[in-house]
Amino acid sequence: MTMNGRRAVSVLSGFLGSGKTTLLRGHLQNHPGDDLVAIINEWGAVGLDHHLVRSVNEQSVLLQGGCVCCARREDLVRTLRELLDLEQGGGMPAMRQVVIETSGLADPAPVLFTIATDPVLKHHFAVASVVVTLDAVNAGDQIESQPEVCKQLVAADRVVITKPDLASGERVAELQAWVRQLNPTARIFVSCLGAAAEALDLPGEAEYARAAPATLEPKLAPHPDVQSATLGFSGPLDWPAFSVWLGMLLEAHGPKALRIKGLLDIGAGGPVALNTAQHTVHPPEHLPAWPQGSSEAYLVFITRGIDPARIANSLEAFQRAGGRNGFRVKRIDPSFGEMA
Amino acid sequence: MCVLCAQMFNEIHWSERQLNPEWITQGGGEATRRRNRRARIRLVSAVLAHYGLEIRDDWSATNYLLGDRKGSQQVLASLGELWPAAGRMVGRALDPLDEGLLNRLAEPTGGRQ
Repeated sequence: MTMNGRRAVSVLSGFLGSGKTTLLRGHLQNHPGDDLVAIINEWGAVGLDHHLVRSVNEQSVLLQGGCVCCARREDLVRTLRELLDLEQGGGMPAMRQVVIETSGLADPAPVLFTIATDPVLKHHFAVASVVVTLDAVNAGDQIESQPEVCKQLVAADRVVITKPDLASGERVAELQAWVRQLNPTARIFVSCLGAAAEALDLPGEAEYARAAPATLEPKLAPHPDVQSATLGFSGPLDWPAFSVWLGMLLEAHGPKALRIKGLLDIGAGGPVALNTAQHTVHPPEHLPAWPQGSSEAYLVFITRGIDPARIANSLEAFQRAGGRNGFRVKRIDPSFGEMA
Repeated sequence: MCVLCAQMFNEIHWSERQLNPEWITQGGGEATRRRNRRARIRLVSAVLAHYGLEIRDDWSATNYLLGDRKGSQQVLASLGELWPAAGRMVGRALDPLDEGLLNRLAEPTGGRQ
């Protein structure tokens, strides 16, 4: 148990053939202990993925019947509850990490929603990270033609660019810059044949620090509908006013607020680590101290069809109405100056 | 369950996770909890006034009472229930990006009447 007494869940997603199972197999080999459980989703008639993974870990559980996220969320609930019963009955060792591999066509957001809202699971499991694999060879076509790829990348905490040996170095660098533009919060790994399986390791506090900005302009066109912006603040936030504002924003614009993630200074000893995926708010973590090497508060917004300037203005108005007179929100993306 | 009034806590809203949930249900951190709650209600009242609604705390500071000017009222267990319920009362989602609302909040009275 690592997440405030709850069992850590890592969600592994990525388009068909992008190397999810190779990465999972590497992770299971790196952690041969019996405290790691892999839940595999099988899309289609042949459970090839399941057999590959089961060859290295006997605790894999196969979810039958299609997409784990959209069509069979109740299966995920049932499977996790069964694992919990088994563990609490002494039938298996305490779970340290559960890796849920989704189907290639799945949007990870419903998995996060299921775990965060199920009346039993939310007390026993917490999502530690969403890891998404992206195939360097086929990513360009997939990004343009498969909306699932963008949904997966927006939901990601870590993006693993796979098959770099089959693409040029320039291509891999461009892809990194494009991912950084779409999702400024994600950590990016480059992995050949599952070599960067540490991407599935549980995150430490350093993960909360703001990711390094892109160092080159991507040649791939920006996504036409999705905007991202990183906001900074003139001083500590008023937490009650922020929570009123965020709750109202997610109720009105949840489906368009694809991702909100950041570290907030609320005037306490440590920051608040915040992470939302659409309308799902992961319980914010009030950290006892600032993570090493990070003292900057920030908030990244990834939105569809909402101008980030409107979000900044609204947050500023609510903070001032909550008693933070003179509070200012500024945009701190590398390519933007301060907002007026 | 609250050890003093036997009120059930079905849900600790994410905005109150600053305090240990176990601690809250045993009555710990009560001064901090009530202070934050009062601050939230003050701001929510200013927002709801823009839509002709009002909110009050109950005696135990565990439930909220949401009402409109026609006398309709609804008891809410947490802040998570507030915005959907308020949206149903006024017939549309309450939008924090609404310029009219933001201008009202910027008034010297902070939107309060």
